[in-house]
Amino acid sequence: MKTYTFHVSGTHCASCKIFIEDALSGQNFIKNVRVDLKLETVEIETDNDKDPRALAQILTEKIKSNGYKLSVEKSIAEKQSSDVVWKAIPIGLAFLALFFLLQKSGILNLGIGGKTTPVTSFIIGLIASVSSCLAIVGGLVLSLSAKVSQDNVSDTKTFILFHMGRLISFALLGGVLGIVGSAIGINFTFTAILGLLASLVMMFLGLNLVGVFAKNKIALPSGFFNFFRRIEHKTFTPIIIGFATFFLPCGFTQSMQVSALGSGSFMSGLLIMLAFALGTLPMLVLLSFGSASFAHGKHAPLFFKSAGVVVIGLGLFALLAGLAGLGIINPLFSI
Amino acid sequence: MDKTPYIIITLALLMGIGIVFFSRLGSNDSTSNQPIQNVQIKDGIQYVTINANAGYLPRVSIAKAGIPTKLVVKTNGTYDCSASLVIRSIGYQKILPQTGEEVIDVGIPKAGQPLQGLCSMGMYNFKINFN
Repeated sequence: MKTYTFHVSGTHCASCKIFIEDALSGQNFIKNVRVDLKLETVEIETDNDKDPRALAQILTEKIKSNGYKLSVEKSIAEKQSSDVVWKAIPIGLAFLALFFLLQKSGILNLGIGGKTTPVTSFIIGLIASVSSCLAIVGGLVLSLSAKVSQDNVSDTKTFILFHMGRLISFALLGGVLGIVGSAIGINFTFTAILGLLASLVMMFLGLNLVGVFAKNKIALPSGFFNFFRRIEHKTFTPIIIGFATFFLPCGFTQSMQVSALGSGSFMSGLLIMLAFALGTLPMLVLLSFGSASFAHGKHAPLFFKSAGVVVIGLGLFALLAGLAGLGIINPLFSI
Repeated sequence: MDKTPYIIITLALLMGIGIVFFSRLGSNDSTSNQPIQNVQIKDGIQYVTINANAGYLPRVSIAKAGIPTKLVVKTNGTYDCSASLVIRSIGYQKILPQTGEEVIDVGIPKAGQPLQGLCSMGMYNFKINFN
């Protein structure tokens, strides 16, 4: 029985420890695996007496597709990552500046008068997807997509489930609003609190993407991450998040909900909300699948960090606006 | 790597975002000096009119205290957040019709107690000062 210690690269999350340990201990010639995220090492006990280099290669094959790499010498990739942050901050800020300028410019304030039909609600969906609602719904989609891609959970399936869940729940809830009429209202305080939660999630994931937590990855017990990882793998989690976006604070969504309420029948309410959700789809699909394609490209570290900067900015904006909306703080700005 | 150019770009962008966020507040001072005819007194009731479309206009109004006051919020093809109006101080919250006029009774305001309205997401607001 011999013990080898390898350097490991690509461990960006606490759940990586669990993943690598699971993947490697599945090999029958390996008796024991211990990953140290702090030192970025993997300790292996084996009765296989191969050359350590050859062994590192064999084991890398098992976990390569998830972005991890074992090596005998310490990889020099570390130096690079601190430089990436300095490039990522201006890129992220440039996107934020562009976004807020777009809001300020008033281009989006197209006057759409008259009755709400599925066609107008589709157009309103298109506008909403680049409006200030993007700060909260889009920011959440971007942060979750980048995180999912980074953790290499089967991302395409997750995104499809999310978008399907979103479309179906908008349609169904729209239909329900159509039947019940004005009997129930969607509580503003409830949506505001949900919005605050979403902005906190965005800021947490944003900091995570930028790599602020990289130095103390094991600050939380791995049991918590084990739980989180299991949730990430569940099929219905993205569907539920898609469902929850119905209640996120967005003026356009709320206007559409009122239109659905007033529409008077299940079918018309369903059509209004479905058309609206379809209108918002192109932008959100672009965000989720765009981030996936970047995440698998060679600029992945730069993308994750830039996305992190964007998400933190949007999260902060949503948080301050949400607190003002609840009357907790005075409104600081008006865009 | 030389970080200086990136730091300079970062600072420039931060300033740019700062200007986008706070410039409205600056320009507001010049517009609020001009008299805005949005306060009317008719049959002993004071009406304050606010237009809601991609924000609220005028952002700051000045009205008289001590007389029954009603707020008239006009919407015209308004689908954005400004249609979902919250006025915390009188416990009012409603999603306004896309096009129309909403009359809200705000009682008899006291001097020095401004009335503040917000959209439900919090990024648009207006204020009425009473004196």
